[in-house]
Amino acid sequence: MKKLAISILVLAFVTAALAQTTVRIMGYGGEDPRIVARLLDEVIGDDLAEQGITVQYEPLEGDYNAALTNALSAGTAADLFYIPAETAPGIIASGKVLPLDDLVDSGPFITSLVDTYTIDNQLYGIAKDFNTLAIHYNKDLFDEAAVEYPNENDDWDSFANKLRGVAALDDDVYGACFPAEFARFGAFAFAAGWQPFDAAGNTDLLDERFVEAFSYYTDLVKEGVAVQPSDLGEGWTGGCFATDNVGVAIEGAWILGFLRDAAPNLQFGTTFMPIGPSGERGNFLYTVAWGINADTANRDAAVAVLKALTSTDTQQFVLENGLAIPSRTALADNPFFAEGTVESEANRIVFEGAASGNVIGFQFGKVGTDWMAPINNALTAVMTGQQDVNAALSAAQNEIDALIERANR
Amino acid sequence: MFQYTQFAFSHRRKVVTVRIRRQEITAAYLFLAPFLITLLIFFVYATVRAVIFSFSNYNLFNLDPNYSGEDPFRWVGLLNYLNLFKEELFLIALRNSIIFAFIVTSVQTFGALVMAAALNTKIRGLDFFRAAYYMPSITSSVVITLIFMWMYQRRGVFNYLSTQLLSYLPLIAVFFAILLIAQLLQVFIERRRGLPAGWFDPALFVVSFLLALAGTWLLNISGVIVPREIVPVDFIWLQTRQEVPAAFPTFLRAAVPLIAIMIQNIFTTIPTFMLMFLAALQDVPKSQYEAASLDGASPVQQFFYITIPAVQPVTFLVITLGLIGTLQMFDQVAIFGSAVPLRSVITLAFFVYNRMFPGAQTPEVGFAAAAAIFLAALTLLVVLIQRRFIRSEAQ
Repeated sequence: MKKLAISILVLAFVTAALAQTTVRIMGYGGEDPRIVARLLDEVIGDDLAEQGITVQYEPLEGDYNAALTNALSAGTAADLFYIPAETAPGIIASGKVLPLDDLVDSGPFITSLVDTYTIDNQLYGIAKDFNTLAIHYNKDLFDEAAVEYPNENDDWDSFANKLRGVAALDDDVYGACFPAEFARFGAFAFAAGWQPFDAAGNTDLLDERFVEAFSYYTDLVKEGVAVQPSDLGEGWTGGCFATDNVGVAIEGAWILGFLRDAAPNLQFGTTFMPIGPSGERGNFLYTVAWGINADTANRDAAVAVLKALTSTDTQQFVLENGLAIPSRTALADNPFFAEGTVESEANRIVFEGAASGNVIGFQFGKVGTDWMAPINNALTAVMTGQQDVNAALSAAQNEIDALIERANR
Repeated sequence: MFQYTQFAFSHRRKVVTVRIRRQEITAAYLFLAPFLITLLIFFVYATVRAVIFSFSNYNLFNLDPNYSGEDPFRWVGLLNYLNLFKEELFLIALRNSIIFAFIVTSVQTFGALVMAAALNTKIRGLDFFRAAYYMPSITSSVVITLIFMWMYQRRGVFNYLSTQLLSYLPLIAVFFAILLIAQLLQVFIERRRGLPAGWFDPALFVVSFLLALAGTWLLNISGVIVPREIVPVDFIWLQTRQEVPAAFPTFLRAAVPLIAIMIQNIFTTIPTFMLMFLAALQDVPKSQYEAASLDGASPVQQFFYITIPAVQPVTFLVITLGLIGTLQMFDQVAIFGSAVPLRSVITLAFFVYNRMFPGAQTPEVGFAAAAAIFLAALTLLVVLIQRRFIRSEAQ
């Protein structure tokens, strides 16, 4: 009898060990390994273990796109991996991403996020979270300048006037930090009603709406009201804002975690992007999705992990830890947003920003991120007074035409 | 019988020699094996594959039997090589690489030789200077690039120092004017007295220097000469597409950010080559310099007529290594990355990487491989041309 019990026990152990599937997942380096480890520990690890699944996170440091492309080609890519929106067309075109239409229900997720990963009517990724841009303002500077805080009713003119009020405080104080990057400036172009691509897939930088936004953005810098982060010796707007000499930063919710560490005493508030000449706000939708390797040997386990990583519980955890904004529509009424703290308020505005006005995904079709380079160069040239708007945009138009033509070849 | 024995003996000796020789050869190959195997795998195999891919439209994925994308694998012959010359960015990269290699190699070779000659003299604290000058070469290239990027900022160290220099220019000019006048006067007086005073006589120079310092200070505190109020220098080193010299045709111009990288690259490579020159200089007999100075040769003449010919073989080595290194310039350009316009600084090696991992497009491996093969051929060609001008033997 005893022998039988032991053999049964041994058999049970062996089957358990055999049934244990390891699912490898790949994502960014930096902070992400720590976050995923906590997520596995505190939220989804136990459930997955019951299903006999162990999850192993493999961060790709450095150039994620290059590393993932190599791994996919060499057959060493993980079962699940991040697909950033801006490089999604290239990653999906490799044919190494499994279509998810029959495996995962995309219904509960925000439509625009689902659209970002839908190519030729097939869904290739489930957005794990997203971000949009918002106005973060330094309350102390606005108080000191006796200027009303930016609010959701601001249009471009009233917004610019408030920035001028703050910039008038001192020579070293600026109204806002404007980097020479389409990744931020684009939101203004969208607020003017401009679209990055027309029906034929071409880009028109000489469109009057684009020129208007371009002039608005660069004029504020030339006027000395806004400043480029590099001119304050900072690498990005967040660092610029943390110097306490800048009234406004236009960034996503990712700035919150940074400010918590870099400027814990900075009193700030958050509001929506200003309303542009089109009568609408403009905004970007930045997102990263989980996709499944088409060559995975553990398809069922991979799907289970993907579902767990995009589950309501996971998203609640990610939201409450101030990491990102959930991609499920059901979390819109989350009590966390109504907590009334500075951070929860900022998160609510970033969340609602996705549904307010002309919101366009941070994605540039087949051309990819190279598409932004001519515009970035033009922004720099005008902001530093090396070229006028027309000359800079004509040059950029030629370069962007060449890029698009090349990508379509 | 005797003859037979002798034959057998000599035959055995031959067998033994052959065996020893064979063992020696085997041992040699065994010692070479670790290097040969790495060379075979990572160099020969990789090169052969690159050459093969350069005749195809391989994109990392279209060799997969399940590939269903829009660009199935096919051989394209020389099309990739022809397309290189239709691509504007490639032509810009070619120009940038050649200008970069030419200027950096010339300046660093000359700079390294001058520095080595200076450090080959017997001065106090020589070890300190040798170590200090070698620092840039042992510091990580990434770290140096980051520091330089910070110094090149619009409000960085370079612009700050330029502003200070321009602002204090009147004082500096006055200082040098007094120095010059004092020195000339003193030498003149000494010579009138019939004493042999050189134009750079150190003792007189110290007096002139102190005089100039005191004079400038007096003029400054009395308010006669004061620093100028000037607009701070706002030279844009990095975020610019400006090309200089503007008077030159496009294919001979260098973009300002590329010049910034050249300065940095020269700064980091001079010490390495300085070390090679220093080693060569130790072998130059002191007697030659002594003989030359007895014959009345000035230090400058000694440098040009003794030092330079004596280190000819090392010069050849330094120029060859310099050309190869600069033509393959990649890391510093990659780290400057998005801080500078791509077109201003793209080099051939970076072009290869850029086509291999473009924004969100499928990698163009075939095209990138063609560019890489072209770069290898170009490097070889340039080194061969260089050999015709600088001989590798001492004169």
